[in-house]
Amino acid sequence: MPGEVLRMENITKIYSNGFVANKDITFWLNEKEILALVGENGAGKTTLMKVLFGLESAQTGHVLVREQPVKIENTLDAIDKGIGMVHQHFMLVPSLTVAENVILGIEPLRKGTLDYNKAIEMAGEVAEKYNFNIDPKARVSDLSVGQMQKVEIMKVLIRGAKIIIMDEPTAVLTPQETEELFEQLILLKESGHSIIFISHKLEEVKRICSRVTVLRHGYCLGSYDLKDMSESDISKLMVGRDVVLKIEKDRPKPEKVVVNIKDLTKFDAQGKTVLEHISMSIRAGEVVGIAGVEGNGQSELSDVLCGMGGFSAGEVLINGTNIQGKTVHEIRESGLAYIAEDRMQFGCAPDMSIRDNIIADRYFKKEYHKGPFINRKYIDELVDRCIIEFEIACDDRDQPVRMLSGGNIQKVVVAREFTSGSNFILANQPTRGIDVGAAEMIRKMIVKKSREEKTAALLISADLNEVLECSDRLLVMRKGRIVAAFPQANLVSEEVLGEYMLGIKTMTAAEMEDLL
Amino acid sequence: MKKTRRIETMVELVRILAAIGIAYLIALVTLFAISDDPVFIIRQFVLGPFSSVRRIGSVINLAIPFTFTGLCFCFMYAVNKFNLSGEGIFMFSGCIVTLLAITLGRFGIPAGILIPLLILCGALTGFIVSLIPAYLDVKFSANIVVVSLMLNSILTFLSIWVLKYFMRDPTIGSLGSYVLPDAARLPSVFGKFRIQAGVFVALAMVIIVAVLFYKTIFGYKMRVVGSNQHFAKASGINMTVTIILAQLVGGAFAGMGGACEIMGNYDRFKWTASTQHGFDGLMVAVLARRNPILVPVAAVLLAYIRIGADVVNSKGDIPIQFITVIQGIVILLVAAEEFMGRFKKNLIYKAAQEDMMKDRERETREIMADAEATEAGKESVE
Repeated sequence: MPGEVLRMENITKIYSNGFVANKDITFWLNEKEILALVGENGAGKTTLMKVLFGLESAQTGHVLVREQPVKIENTLDAIDKGIGMVHQHFMLVPSLTVAENVILGIEPLRKGTLDYNKAIEMAGEVAEKYNFNIDPKARVSDLSVGQMQKVEIMKVLIRGAKIIIMDEPTAVLTPQETEELFEQLILLKESGHSIIFISHKLEEVKRICSRVTVLRHGYCLGSYDLKDMSESDISKLMVGRDVVLKIEKDRPKPEKVVVNIKDLTKFDAQGKTVLEHISMSIRAGEVVGIAGVEGNGQSELSDVLCGMGGFSAGEVLINGTNIQGKTVHEIRESGLAYIAEDRMQFGCAPDMSIRDNIIADRYFKKEYHKGPFINRKYIDELVDRCIIEFEIACDDRDQPVRMLSGGNIQKVVVAREFTSGSNFILANQPTRGIDVGAAEMIRKMIVKKSREEKTAALLISADLNEVLECSDRLLVMRKGRIVAAFPQANLVSEEVLGEYMLGIKTMTAAEMEDLL
Repeated sequence: MKKTRRIETMVELVRILAAIGIAYLIALVTLFAISDDPVFIIRQFVLGPFSSVRRIGSVINLAIPFTFTGLCFCFMYAVNKFNLSGEGIFMFSGCIVTLLAITLGRFGIPAGILIPLLILCGALTGFIVSLIPAYLDVKFSANIVVVSLMLNSILTFLSIWVLKYFMRDPTIGSLGSYVLPDAARLPSVFGKFRIQAGVFVALAMVIIVAVLFYKTIFGYKMRVVGSNQHFAKASGINMTVTIILAQLVGGAFAGMGGACEIMGNYDRFKWTASTQHGFDGLMVAVLARRNPILVPVAAVLLAYIRIGADVVNSKGDIPIQFITVIQGIVILLVAAEEFMGRFKKNLIYKAAQEDMMKDRERETREIMADAEATEAGKESVE
């Protein structure tokens, strides 16, 4: 029996808004094993790992490394104890080279200045030792997402980490890149590292992990040997029921064109082309999905459509209105509802009440005010209806939004956007980082509105499952262009999608005709 | 979670009281060190403002300009702009109003018309002047703090220039304007208290501003813009107009304050330096936590400390600067939002932990029931 390298005992973490993220959690990690940490979004996985890595401090509990109690108060403590973390969102400086990123903070010096050759040597050494096929002199901004992740792992390894936390590493990868990552992880395991692998993709967990620790609602439901567990066993532990990933939906009956994009091109402030000759349309009654590795123009497309960023050439019509030069207000008036990618920045005002958040897009309409005064009674009724219909868990309509959980904040956003009476819904990462229940509800609502109310929906998501399940038509974006189009999303496999996302394959304009 | 909200409100109150308590404690300790008769001094400082009817009246009179400028800064805060031009506007508006009063006084306009007209002119002066920093900020992203501070200097010297060349009364020794016509003087009310009638204007304005903030569409827009600009933009709220207009309205209140101050407490305009009322208003707005309803309370508090200082200054051996230090400590502790933050967090943690214990049994039971159904003979490694 290999020894224990890490044990976290009785960890309870309470956030300053009173939310208990971890409730008395105990688990351990053996030497040379890959332990899966699973649980729904919001179950407390990331918080637990942040406590371990010194990014958050727990109210109770302690951490043992190789059976010695240790105090981890900040990330330097954690690194010092041989713990490293690969974050879900990369923490790299894009304008620096791989070597510069990797040695940041532990720079080799010569006569008080950076010894760049030594840095390249160090980075190259790690890359070679662990079989990372990566050039230390390459600029990070030129790398693919999969390669950036390798740089992150190199950063952790060069600091001598023996315990590596991987926070949902596969969420941003294509199936092909995932494959490569797994080989690397197994290699790392064999060379004496212990890995905590956070994921909610159970087939991945099954493939590379030996044990699994299940979290739910902040509780730990125990650690299990994976040879005794099937995927459905784990998923029942995670959510208490079989997760239905399939969304029941009838075939779409698309009607008139609601959104028409013709030859849209956009250059960013540096003059780089971020959107290139995009032409597509979205019809009433259908959900169009856009898949793609993040950072391939999806955010820019979303910004163009909602009026937050302009564009350089082409034409965008929403219900026949050209949105060039129009304000956000005017675009919303012509029929847009918009679920923003970053809900805390663009989707809500955290310090304001649920009521104030829900009326932000419509306070000026005539039912909502009498002269210069707010029509409080009408608004209160509407907000109360929203709270019930969208199952927002809160005290009352006056509660500041910041006191809600992530899933409930997103429900407030969705409640506003789905009741705005618009016939075009732009949903950019609508379920990122929220619990399964809320995510399921939001996905169903998007489909339901398209079927019952004939809205046109554009769903942009990095979650392949989500786009495959919810969309009718599916488009793939890469480097600011549409590189593939499929008439029926649920007939596309993740592998095929991955090939287009990575640019291994590209459809010609003729192939995509009639599908855009 | 309902508990969290209650704890936050409670801690907020305790915090302000504690801040004042600590400041007075420091004052007490220091007084024992530097004064020959500390007990007498403290009694004068604490009770002095209440020792005569006149003094109580003085506290209220002093609180009136603080209320106006406090309201002014509530607007600046509401849209997150540190537009400090309220300071200069207060003096400049006083100057313009005096000039108008002297000019119009010749036509024998009755007080009932002249006074409201002059207050309106004061407001208008503030409204127009604050357009300068607000517009430069939005249009050219000129740093609003720098612009408004510079504007204050300009306004101060502009006022002195107007005083010297357009309305100086050569018959008096010091620099001062001609006497204000009687029709332009706010009467004293409440008999012996001798409170200037501007108090009614101030209170009416507090109510109007509170309604404007919390009951109107404009107030709503202002609060959204101040709370999260990105969100305001993504919701389609016209930010430029809201941000500029809020500052103009704020400026108008500082202007109104200057007008009432001159007409209520002076017989002629004789300010030759910036009056500090604007910066005091900034303090008041901070103390009131940007809430217009609390502005008069904070204004009275500040006025009370000031009058206490005056009393001590005239009766004891303590310099007035000492009191400024005490006042600084109060503001510092109230403005430091994380002061007592740990106390708040601990209360929240404790409440959450209690809830957790309560819910635990139920939640565990639910989870176990699910898990048992699943496990069906499988054994945990544990």
